Amino acid sequence: MNLTKPKYIRRVSTVVAVLLALPLQLGIFTGLYMWLSPFAMLNSLFLLKSMVWLNILGWSILLVSFFRNRWFCRYMCPVGLGCDSFSKWGKHSRAFVKKIPRLGRWLALLSLAAALTGIPFFILLDPLSVFNGFFAAFASDISLAVIVSFIGLPVLLIIHLFLPGIWCGKLCPLGGLFDELSTWRKWIAKTLLKKKNISTEQNVGRRMFIASGTGLLAGVFIPSLLHAERKQFFRPPASLRGNLFNTLCVRCGSCIKACPSDIIIHHSGKKNLTAWMTPEISFENKGYCLEDCNLCGTVCPTGSISPFTLNAKKKLFIGSINIRLEDCLLSDFKECDRCKSVCSYDAIQIVASQNIMMKPLADLNKCVGCGACAAVCPTETISMIPLKKTTSSEEVSQNTYEFF
Amino acid sequence: MKRRDFVTRIIVAGSALSMGVSCGRKIEGDQQETPAPLSEATEPQRTITEPAREIPVIAETDVLVIGGGPAGVAAAIAASRAGAETYLVERYNHLGGLWTGGLVLPLLSTHAVDKQKRRKQVIYGLGGEMAQRLFDMEMAIHEVNPIIDPEAGKYILDEMIVESGVKMLYHSWGVNAIMEGNTIKGVFIESKSGRQAVLAKVVIDCTGDGDVFHWAGDSYETMNYHIGLVHRLGNIDRIDKNKPGYKKMPLGQPTPIPSVNWVNMHGLNDQDGIDMQNLSQLQLQYRKEIWESVERIKKVPGHENVFLLDTASQMGVRMSRIVEGEYKLTLEDTMTFKQFDDVIGISGAWTSMLYKGNKVLAYERPLWQIPYRSLLPKKTENLLVAGRCFCFEQALVEDTRIIGTCLITGHGAGAAAAIAANDRVTVREIDRQKLRKTLEEQNVWFG
Ligand SMILES: Cc1cc2nc3c(=O)[nH]c(=O)nc-3n(C[C@H](O)[C@H](O)[C@H](O)COP(=O)(O)OP(=O)(O)OC[C@H]3O[C@@H](n4cnc5c(N)ncnc54)[C@H](O)[C@@H]3O)c2cc1C
Ligand code: SF4
Ligand code: SF4
Repeated sequence: MNLTKPKYIRRVSTVVAVLLALPLQLGIFTGLYMWLSPFAMLNSLFLLKSMVWLNILGWSILLVSFFRNRWFCRYMCPVGLGCDSFSKWGKHSRAFVKKIPRLGRWLALLSLAAALTGIPFFILLDPLSVFNGFFAAFASDISLAVIVSFIGLPVLLIIHLFLPGIWCGKLCPLGGLFDELSTWRKWIAKTLLKKKNISTEQNVGRRMFIASGTGLLAGVFIPSLLHAERKQFFRPPASLRGNLFNTLCVRCGSCIKACPSDIIIHHSGKKNLTAWMTPEISFENKGYCLEDCNLCGTVCPTGSISPFTLNAKKKLFIGSINIRLEDCLLSDFKECDRCKSVCSYDAIQIVASQNIMMKPLADLNKCVGCGACAAVCPTETISMIPLKKTTSSEEVSQNTYEFF
Repeated sequence: MKRRDFVTRIIVAGSALSMGVSCGRKIEGDQQETPAPLSEATEPQRTITEPAREIPVIAETDVLVIGGGPAGVAAAIAASRAGAETYLVERYNHLGGLWTGGLVLPLLSTHAVDKQKRRKQVIYGLGGEMAQRLFDMEMAIHEVNPIIDPEAGKYILDEMIVESGVKMLYHSWGVNAIMEGNTIKGVFIESKSGRQAVLAKVVIDCTGDGDVFHWAGDSYETMNYHIGLVHRLGNIDRIDKNKPGYKKMPLGQPTPIPSVNWVNMHGLNDQDGIDMQNLSQLQLQYRKEIWESVERIKKVPGHENVFLLDTASQMGVRMSRIVEGEYKLTLEDTMTFKQFDDVIGISGAWTSMLYKGNKVLAYERPLWQIPYRSLLPKKTENLLVAGRCFCFEQALVEDTRIIGTCLITGHGAGAAAAIAANDRVTVREIDRQKLRKTLEEQNVWFG
């Protein structure tokens, strides 16, 4: 048995990918495998025009694949392994699938071009995101959105029982990106380096032209067609706003798995279909956003949640506080200052409301909406309300909005 | 073909360019602001030298307890019952401190949850005995965290002090420590009888504000906290709810006397409890506000007969000094059933908490041990600290400053002081096994 065979390496990679994708509270390693996808990375880069250090992983894969086409697919892709296995188990011929054009490269080009102008069109088809999204379902309470996130991978695999090889060869935009890269390499070799004996495809230019053109136009026009969120909800700190978030987020669920206080869930608002399966903060279970945690921003492979320092956290608003004084223990002359004592942002003061009667008073410029006070309040006095615009700090908007 | 190649190149170049301009993505916070230097240059305080004088020694005793609050009473009785000659000095005319004179009537926290998640009583020993006597007189209500009648409280505490043979000195302020090197030898007291000295083998600081360890030169933290003034309302049973225009008013909580409610006051935040200018200011302001508040209540139909029964004779200073002791008790210790080999008792908890990101409700809070080491100041020899100023981290303040915990620390300190005096060792050297045995004999509960 030769362990360096692609087959074995891919099995080991798949085990690693599964371990990293499971909701095991792995801290910054949560969903790390997702970062290997150059497709998701380039989409994010083209849209946000910014990068982080971890993108080195994606760049490495891109570099290797430039010289060795489909190297990632053969050695490292867990979805590829699944599709190949299911294709083998199914008893159908490949004749039909052979006739299908190779759409993957079109999808890749279209998506990246559209990302440049405003919408990473097919980023959701990234195989690693489908793969990670499957495992994210185990980190959440069940809801329709969770089920959708869960069935992506099984459906993809089961299709292979009937249409063997259809994903990797024909549809996968990541594979398409690799194919496209190799075409370019050949093109460069032939036209720039004047190597004679290389055969290039005939219609590279045509494809580039049509796909990119359509993509660029789609990126300009489609975002304005998406309607704004109808119902406001809580987003993790440092999240992009509204539809920008919805279109960039790959639904890998890394933030949901990483959150140590389990307050991030799959959004499943009936009125916000575009936001489905994106992360939403829920204060239902009396958890709160920990003052000493920035995992969601760190693990997010697309930058939908930007990385942030703990120090920045006091400016990254999640929501806002609402106090209903009639329930407050202080209104009944009882001893309490729990809300004030837990606020890490110094946003609550206990002040005189009328003579000797005291009340909690929140400074809305300081309150980031972390929910700690609502969690600790022994009565139902405090609740969290979403910001008018689902949000981020001004820094984030500077970082990303100057382009729109 | 040419044109297509051109477009292709544009796009490749465009992507390359966009990579070129891309910048790092990370949101950094502001730089930490440096606090502005205090601008007010305070003038040096004018001073005057007091002539040296001879002070009469009115007593030489085994154990001297300064302060007769919950901690002080428990300490004095425990020491006396353990066979030491004991003196108790209190500046006012009653025992019980904030519990009675401060009108802080609920004895918290008598209960907590054990490892098997059963919520049970934890306060026994002298605290339990006091509560039981009050229940027997029908002067306490609620089995969990009983609320007592303050006059009944003063009465039974006097009774217990007399029964146990403690020598009581009312109307006397402790004013300075008598030191020999790092060892405390007694305390100067001051009263209408003039300045006097009480010498002792062991001194227990139960002043609540840590006056004694402050005089002795030990190190401590100061914690500014909210200060309130509690009051009581009378004729609660004569409120006419059927009167037209009646509206439910916040009237505090019931006490064992049906016509009387006690009204807690949170008070202003961040107040310095050992600055007498400040305390006097608050006293004036609060008394006025309480009066006005009661006047307003009386104007609400149905409340005409309600009246202000009394304002507390002790200002409600919740926190001031916290001694730096041999061991600083932490919130974590209280949340994780931490075991100490020198445990002096177990206390309960009454607040909901966020602990490591999780909400722990008041009635889910675990019981927790208090170690003897936390009563030992770092420097001074033969001094013990009990009550709301023993050594703990501030995150734990809500559970360490309450009456139940003060009773436990007082009890432990008293027993330890007696052992040190009887065995002629320092309080640091006493046999911890013997302490445990003495406390068990005195009904302290160890789980
Ligand atoms: C407004 C308020 C509400 C509270 N609510 C509750 C509650 O609901 N339940 C609860 O369990 N706890 C409550 N507490 C806390 C609790 O009442 C006190 O922390 C507790 O009584 C402290 O006991 P102690 O013996 O340490 O000190 P204290 O009760 O302060 O007693 C100290 C005693 O020492 C005397 N003394 C001080 N200095 C000197 C000196 N130099 N010389 C001589 N004598 C001196 C004082 O006169 C006093 O009698 C509350 C406190 C406040 C202020
Ligand atoms: S939600 Fe509450 S605890 Fe959090 S910042 Fe706002 S006031 Fe403070
Ligand atoms: S924690 Fe709730 S009950 Fe307590 S003071 Fe704050 S708002 Fe009031």
